[in-house]
Amino acid sequence: MTSWLDHTINGLIVGNIYALLAVGLALIFGVSRLINFAHGSVYVVGAYIGWVAVAHLHTPLPVTILLVAAGSALLGLLIERFGLRPLQGSTKIAPLLATIGISFVLDQIVQIVFTPDPRALPSQLPDWRFQIGGGTIGALDILIAAIGFTSAVLLFGFLRFTKLGWAVRATAQDRDAARQMGVDVDQVNRIVFAIASALGGLSGLLVGMYYNYIDPAMSFQATLKGVVAEVVGGVGNIPGAIVGSLILGLVESYGIALLGTSYRNLFAFILLVVILVLRPNGLFASKRQLPPEPLTGTFIAPSKPVPLPTPALLAALAVAAVLPLVIAQPYLLQTLTNAWLYALLGISLTLIAGTVGQISLGHAALLAIGGYTSALLTLDLGVPVGLSILAAGFVAAGLGTLLAWPAFRLRGHYVTIATLAIGEIVSLAILNWESLTRGPIGVFGIPPISLFGYPIESARAVYWFTLAILAVLAALQLRLLRSHLGRAWRAVRDDDVAARSYGIALDRYKALAFITGGFAAGISGGVTSHLYSFINHETFNAQLSILALTIVILGGMGNVFGAIVGSVLLIGLPEVFRVAAEYRVLIYGLVLLLLIRFRPQGLFGTV
Amino acid sequence: MPLLEVSGLVRRFGGVTAVGGVDLSVEEGRLVSVIGPNGAGKTTLFNLITGLDRPDEGKVSFDGADITGFAPEKLAHLRLARTFQHGRVFANLSVLGNVLVGAHARLRAARPRLPVLGALGELALALIQPGSVRREEAALRAEALAIIARFGERLLPRQDQPAYSLSYANRRRVEIARALALSPRLLLLDEPTAGMNQTETAEMQALIAELKASGLTILLIEHKLDMVMSLSDEVVVMDDGKVIARGLPQAVRHDPAVIEAYLGHREVGGGAAEKALAEAAE
Amino acid sequence: MIHATRRRALALGSLLLATAAAPAAFAQTAKPTGEPVLIGVSGPLTGPNAQYGAQWKKGFDLALDEINASGGINGRPLAYQFEDSQSDPRQAVAIAQKFVADPKIVFEIGDFSSPASMASSPIYQRAGLVQFGFTNSHPDFTKGGDFMWSNSLTQAEEQPQVAQYAVKELGLKRVAVLHLNTDWGRTSKDILVKAVRDFGAEVVATEGYLPEEKDFRSTLVRVRDANPDGLLLISYYADAALIARQLKATGLNKPVVAVGSIYSPKLIELGGDAVNGIYTNSQFFPEDPRPEVQTFVKSYIAKYGAEPDAFAARAYDTVILAGHVFRQYGTERRAIRDGLAEIKDVPSVIFGKATFDKETRRVVGAQNARLVIKDGKFVVWDRSAIPTR
Repeated sequence: MTSWLDHTINGLIVGNIYALLAVGLALIFGVSRLINFAHGSVYVVGAYIGWVAVAHLHTPLPVTILLVAAGSALLGLLIERFGLRPLQGSTKIAPLLATIGISFVLDQIVQIVFTPDPRALPSQLPDWRFQIGGGTIGALDILIAAIGFTSAVLLFGFLRFTKLGWAVRATAQDRDAARQMGVDVDQVNRIVFAIASALGGLSGLLVGMYYNYIDPAMSFQATLKGVVAEVVGGVGNIPGAIVGSLILGLVESYGIALLGTSYRNLFAFILLVVILVLRPNGLFASKRQLPPEPLTGTFIAPSKPVPLPTPALLAALAVAAVLPLVIAQPYLLQTLTNAWLYALLGISLTLIAGTVGQISLGHAALLAIGGYTSALLTLDLGVPVGLSILAAGFVAAGLGTLLAWPAFRLRGHYVTIATLAIGEIVSLAILNWESLTRGPIGVFGIPPISLFGYPIESARAVYWFTLAILAVLAALQLRLLRSHLGRAWRAVRDDDVAARSYGIALDRYKALAFITGGFAAGISGGVTSHLYSFINHETFNAQLSILALTIVILGGMGNVFGAIVGSVLLIGLPEVFRVAAEYRVLIYGLVLLLLIRFRPQGLFGTV
Repeated sequence: MPLLEVSGLVRRFGGVTAVGGVDLSVEEGRLVSVIGPNGAGKTTLFNLITGLDRPDEGKVSFDGADITGFAPEKLAHLRLARTFQHGRVFANLSVLGNVLVGAHARLRAARPRLPVLGALGELALALIQPGSVRREEAALRAEALAIIARFGERLLPRQDQPAYSLSYANRRRVEIARALALSPRLLLLDEPTAGMNQTETAEMQALIAELKASGLTILLIEHKLDMVMSLSDEVVVMDDGKVIARGLPQAVRHDPAVIEAYLGHREVGGGAAEKALAEAAE
Repeated sequence: MIHATRRRALALGSLLLATAAAPAAFAQTAKPTGEPVLIGVSGPLTGPNAQYGAQWKKGFDLALDEINASGGINGRPLAYQFEDSQSDPRQAVAIAQKFVADPKIVFEIGDFSSPASMASSPIYQRAGLVQFGFTNSHPDFTKGGDFMWSNSLTQAEEQPQVAQYAVKELGLKRVAVLHLNTDWGRTSKDILVKAVRDFGAEVVATEGYLPEEKDFRSTLVRVRDANPDGLLLISYYADAALIARQLKATGLNKPVVAVGSIYSPKLIELGGDAVNGIYTNSQFFPEDPRPEVQTFVKSYIAKYGAEPDAFAARAYDTVILAGHVFRQYGTERRAIRDGLAEIKDVPSVIFGKATFDKETRRVVGAQNARLVIKDGKFVVWDRSAIPTR
């Protein structure tokens, strides 16, 4: 039974660490209604500032802490000034996407400056620990808890008892009303970003010292865990964020105790989804708090789509179809084949995120379901390849819709968080469900594509095969968009309250969108698995979901042709920039930022 | 039997009782107005009737059937249409698209049948688009255009423009056009003339009168009392979540409790309403 | 006892100094000229695995310096073209198409991860270009076709040695296994567990963890509850350092035996005091007196000012091996494939002498040094030194 005590203490220690991240996220959400995906990057920058201070300047701990807090606060101010303030008055989704772009840029800069190698960040505290249960608690544990607790108390006091704090709270409650009452909302935003970033950077320093380990790639995990903890506690709620973090730590620790180490994140994400479904405002949301902001109507950029007459589309298709006869370079054809496969993912997501307004960050899960379905059907049951790919579409449509079901009752950013979590759950389920999926070993020897016994192996054949699938599915989607269904979907996106009042049952139409979109994504995953011959749980990772969303934004929300062009560009450009190797992600992040800033409606406009 | 009957409806938010035991009934073909100062609970009452909010107590019946707590999408299938106080149009849909969404609940394909198969059937029909579906769509389109035509030059030339590009007044018109596309049995209008100038208000008043004359049953929330007085068969006055007076427009306008309610809310009620009341009382 | 070990280590050190003066493996000749012989490399330079791509480059460059300083490939310089795949299968297949269509590329190395490498295998196989996966220990990698070759250690070879070290030499009877839950970690674990049982010891717990895991406290509580008398780690250096530090914090003082992939100066940097006493079975050990090892270590330190690790050694080994094949069998794609099957006893840091098994297209017979970390240094383990923990 002492193990349970130990698991409890371990859970609290880990939760303690999450709390440092979650408090900053909660503060920013409270004021800006923004889930700051760049928070993890600030955390990384803070850790590296600390490393420079400790390893090169040999500063004592208090000075290190001050340097990190000041440096990170400055970074927060820069993010706010150049990344987010220009987006004021833009669509609600724009700042969220901008923080994703900012995090790409920051992580990559850190990686270029400090190399991707992990570094040791030695703790400057005495190695002093005392025994509790079967484990020990050290000086750093106490320091982390003290900083977490002190910052929460200071923040609470600041918000409650100072004039500026009052302004922050007023802004958080109603931005426009606060502005009218003479609150300098920009000033409030600056202060909040500075404080939150200082905390974020500080947590990077402390966590780095705690594990004596920092690397530039730790940003995504940090953001993810911080967001989960924040949502559990109730977004925007600072004490809630701390308690939420401790609960997350405990749930993970007990999860490991029950089932084993590789279940840690599975428990974290299931906790998130359960909380979102049962208590979308978090465990500690006060009753008076407003329900989740509708975030509809202005969620996506209103714009007139660029008119694309059918003859022009057919001409584009014809050019694509004869291309392999003119240029037979397999590398080019392979790149375009990839683009077609991603375009299938793109039209799927542009339907769900663009047409129906459900910004999904877990879309790679649909590819994974499709990929595994087709691979396992051919290998384990001997189903012919063409049929298995079709089945992949249907299974992804069905299973994907069921999995996304909990997110149907959510709105705005909550959908994004929930789908992100659902995507991770699928990936972890694939990793852990060994009897079906072969676990981490992956599925090997997936037969190449063939139709009615004719192999489709050459770069040219695969190109035509994928192009044909894309053309058919895109045409079907356009047909649906012109039907009453397309109208109903767009109504759900623009105003779900009004849509319901006119007989559009949200569950039904969201489900239909996921079925339609899931089919295209499942087919894409299925074809991919036969093309690669080997897949495992990492083949379709979270990066793909972000890529898919970028494709959709680039092309224009809901715009089928835009999604196709977007994926040709986003798959093609990295190939063009291949010479710039180390700078590619940086360029990618900057392009995303510029796009959000200067053409939020995408290349071809929202449909 | 009244078409709509509301009895003992209560809705509390935390410690505040927004609607405290309201009774109301609307006979078929009549126009009933709900007036009252801001914060009297009128919109909350609308939300309770139209399923956007659930009452803590009380009952709502429509055409004799209990519809308390029904989801809004279900009420739409019963042909209960509403407009919204601040105007909720589908910003990226064209004017025509908005009006066609209004007819959504009338589509054969969209009727709720079996839970899963019904939805899949709808998807199949949208994909295949057999002749019947296309004919239905064409008929609805013609009908929608006819509805838009009722708003004359205000909407007709803009039928293909996205709703976000319209003026505020035009968005309100689109809302009403959308509600009419449902061919409603009961129409609930929440301040249809808010933000309109005098000419526009007069146009709207004429349209509502015309709708009433065509036999449509209407429940109206309105601040412009001269309009209420000239259109209504019955006026219900609310204050602090309660009905403080009801009856014929002439009777209500002289009710001391009503005058008191409006004067008492001078600060919050807005001078316009008070002035209107005073004018109407003369 | 400690003194005795240190003296041995010192003796070994002076022996090394003597051998280090031995002539380099390749004789100095004229600077190579003309069209370079090109190796295509597909690997991560950005993304989460970027650190490994950076290490590859160091190993490759060193080998190129050496080969080109000694006449290149029969007078032509050897070069590589590194394409960043981010270890992403989608990009790896595009790179594969690029390489197979480029007649200048005669040999391909990579990718890093199994999904990326094995997704591109069908393309290389169809085109008849050797895909050489030097980090691909996935048991199915070389089954992709007769153009898939690997000098990555097979787990069937390495794991029994770890088991032997732990059970036979260190006398552990009840072990707990912690492994990375990846294809490599999982395959290794299965073989290791079997080997441990074959040697007559018991496996009381196995725990798989995700590569991004940083906190192992709860895992270690589970391990403690299983009451093992030692821990076996199937880890890379970064996670091994984290585990070692947390073992110390948890107060679980049991012997730790780890696989060779933890061998890196970074392990000491990241782990600090906590890694002292870890036993490992390494195929690469810089103080190994063999001339190929000493040439490598010396020139690595000279070029980069830091000690090499096992990854760099493998990268270096691979290009050296390719150089030998090209020199002996020419630079025609198929000839290279046939040459790999033929070539014998190529000097190798990892294998001593590398020869491929024609059936499995892998190399067997890696060097095996039993090491232990003492006072922040890897030293050769010596039976008389146990048990120190």
